[in-house]
Amino acid sequence: MRCVQQTARRAGRGPLAGLALAGVLVGMLAGCNGYMPRYTTNLPGPWQRVAPSDLPVLLPPGAPVTVVAARTRAVGPVYRSYAVVLSNATALAGENRLSLDVQAVPDSLLDALVPPERPFPVPLYTGETLAATLEKEFPDMEATVADGARRNRYGDYDYAVASAVDGAGTVSTCVLAWQLLTDHARVLPQRVDAVRLEWRVCGTGGDPRPLLEPFDRLTLRLGETVLDADAAATPDRRW
Amino acid sequence: MTPTRTFLLLLAAAVAGAPSAGAQTPSGQNGGARALAPGVTVDVNPAPGSGSATAPAKIDETALRHYARTGDVERLEAEIARLRALDPAWEPPKDLFTPQAQAPGVDETPFWKLVSEGKVPQARAAIAEQRRQSPSWQPSAKLLQELDVAEDTARLRQASDARLWQEVTEIAGTRPDAVSCARLDSAWRVAEAYGELKQTDRALAIYRTLVSQCPKAGERRDTLYKASRYLSPEQVRELAALATTANPAAGEDYTVVGRAQADLETGRLLERAGSGKGGALSPDDLARLEATVRDRRDADGALTLGWYFQQRKQHRPAQEWFALSNQWAPSDRAAEGLILAHAGLGEKDKALEAAKPWRGRSPRVDKAVLAVERPAGRGGRGGDGPPPGPSPLDQALAKRDYSACLTAIQRMAAKSGMTAALAQQRGWCLIELGRPSEAEAAFAEAQALGGKTGGKTAAKGSGAAPAGKTEEEAAYGQALARLAAGDMAALAHDLPALPLSPRHRAEIRASLLAAEANRALEDKRYHDVLRLLDARKEVEPEPRNLGILRGWALYNLHRLTDAYDQFKSIDDRLSTPESREGVTITRKTIYHDWQ
Repeated sequence: MRCVQQTARRAGRGPLAGLALAGVLVGMLAGCNGYMPRYTTNLPGPWQRVAPSDLPVLLPPGAPVTVVAARTRAVGPVYRSYAVVLSNATALAGENRLSLDVQAVPDSLLDALVPPERPFPVPLYTGETLAATLEKEFPDMEATVADGARRNRYGDYDYAVASAVDGAGTVSTCVLAWQLLTDHARVLPQRVDAVRLEWRVCGTGGDPRPLLEPFDRLTLRLGETVLDADAAATPDRRW
Repeated sequence: MTPTRTFLLLLAAAVAGAPSAGAQTPSGQNGGARALAPGVTVDVNPAPGSGSATAPAKIDETALRHYARTGDVERLEAEIARLRALDPAWEPPKDLFTPQAQAPGVDETPFWKLVSEGKVPQARAAIAEQRRQSPSWQPSAKLLQELDVAEDTARLRQASDARLWQEVTEIAGTRPDAVSCARLDSAWRVAEAYGELKQTDRALAIYRTLVSQCPKAGERRDTLYKASRYLSPEQVRELAALATTANPAAGEDYTVVGRAQADLETGRLLERAGSGKGGALSPDDLARLEATVRDRRDADGALTLGWYFQQRKQHRPAQEWFALSNQWAPSDRAAEGLILAHAGLGEKDKALEAAKPWRGRSPRVDKAVLAVERPAGRGGRGGDGPPPGPSPLDQALAKRDYSACLTAIQRMAAKSGMTAALAQQRGWCLIELGRPSEAEAAFAEAQALGGKTGGKTAAKGSGAAPAGKTEEEAAYGQALARLAAGDMAALAHDLPALPLSPRHRAEIRASLLAAEANRALEDKRYHDVLRLLDARKEVEPEPRNLGILRGWALYNLHRLTDAYDQFKSIDDRLSTPESREGVTITRKTIYHDWQ
């Protein structure tokens, strides 16, 4: 307990005895190793493997992709992120994946006052960041952002489509879809503040629809029931 | 050589160089300030308000005499050039170095000293205090102007450091005399701001003025380097031509500019050749590049050329360049290229010969050898016919076309079934394609297949690896895939049980410790950073990037001298923006020099 003793000696000598006493108390509470400031608990934790059956999302039966591996990590007490790597039948670079971030409603005043940094930006994309992301995700491919949104079980989402032809004449198509769920009136349970989804899948062939359909029909399981958005007709689609 | 002699020589050189600068004095208004773009001028001559070019009697020599008195050679030289530009007929006073009787009144020397040390607020405070003591005294106009310029220069620097490019250009617009050859750093920052704002015409105008007006060859060369970041190759060529011919100053050797231009050109061509972007090089460009690389015995350049030819299936020139690279500076990267080039030529024996010095010591060479050694189950050699040429898989690997590698493996597996060696190769190709989770699964499959065949995995292949080695390679691949996927915690947990060779185990452990140290820095656990890096150092020598990390951990622990020493030792070996940033910030923190 050398560190505590030193603090106590200083307390006896200096005019800031009260402050030093507080230091002693903190020292006694924390031991000789000091204490870690609260912000450290708000930083992203390490990624940990998670079994597909423990994921808060279910792919629809008959989906052309399957779960290869999944990882999760917490960002403070408010956010939990999931990275689900999906199978990829193409020879293109980059992993097929579903990214999912769940933002909980803080259950303590301190968490509400000092929230961790959100692991995704809002708006999810700007023109510039989308262009940079498409370039990174689909290098050397022609990417087009869809004019109109598409709708899945939980609401509207936006997406982009990229395609390429390799030397042997094989056509591959990729889609990137992104969605932010904030509908507390119907879709999200009270404990969940927001859910962010991103679907990045490449497949063989020139038709992007089979690549988007699993995203249209996936199911979220967040403890409490997540309701479907009203079953509106799918809006006009480009593809 | 004594300091006084050096001082006089420099003075003589400055005076000799002055007429040529003066010859370029524009005859426009504003005392010769040169319009660069709306709102921005680079003041190559007098500062506004310091006198007219046609009124030599008004030239203010206060600053000149101050610099002479304090022995500030650099500023003295710049001031002489500035005054000569202001009035070509002006000559430096002969009594410049004669001790002057102080004019009655207040001696401004202490204020000038503070200004020249960059302590502008202190200078202002000292002047205010002096005025309180001597209410009738007025500081000289030159001193006040110098204070204003110094303040604006500091603001400009701060805005530039904070990457507030618009603010930089606004300051430059209101304070054109903060941007001059005498304040080259400010001029570069303003040009950089325009470059960042994509207003390259304005950036070009500033660079053009600097390379034609600043007399020192080194300054012109450095301007060219800075400009190359924002300007097209054609514009850089134009600047280089201007820099070597415009307003030459006596005693300056402008050939350094030509050399810098050649360096930039070579760098550009090498980058183009290396990235594969921009298509094939023209025959002229290629010949020029080859001659330069050969001339300089540039091993890295030779490597780039090797890959350039290899990707174009020109295996013979590729092999020659890889061989040259290996000859000038033996490396596993050169050996890797050499192996694949020989493979492309169907010279398997030579490929394996080239691999010999590195086998078992370099993962990249081991991987290249795997590509050369025919994986089992590929069909093998049939009868006594001529040896087949390189397979599609060999060709894909030789071209580093990892998508084609996947396609070739898929075809081979469909034809003859998947083997451990094929699955392993698939894992390596998936890693190269940035698909580590699938790679991990492929390595797991290789391990399972290797175990199933009980040591006969690849026995039919001439270069087949024994089952134990296959298992070790597969485990190593799995570990690398998990590292790439960010699966650090679980990998650290599993590492002791993995069937890895001691060398591979040490490599994985070093990578894990480095990743953990990076994470600790992000979490602001600086003691942990040092603890982890020290542990890593016991496994492998510390690479440069982790040395920088160590420097920041020391800095944040307020061990400033240690941090400075750390950054400085890295910077002394190879100076990069990261190392310079560390040195500068630490030094400024130590000396409270945030002006």
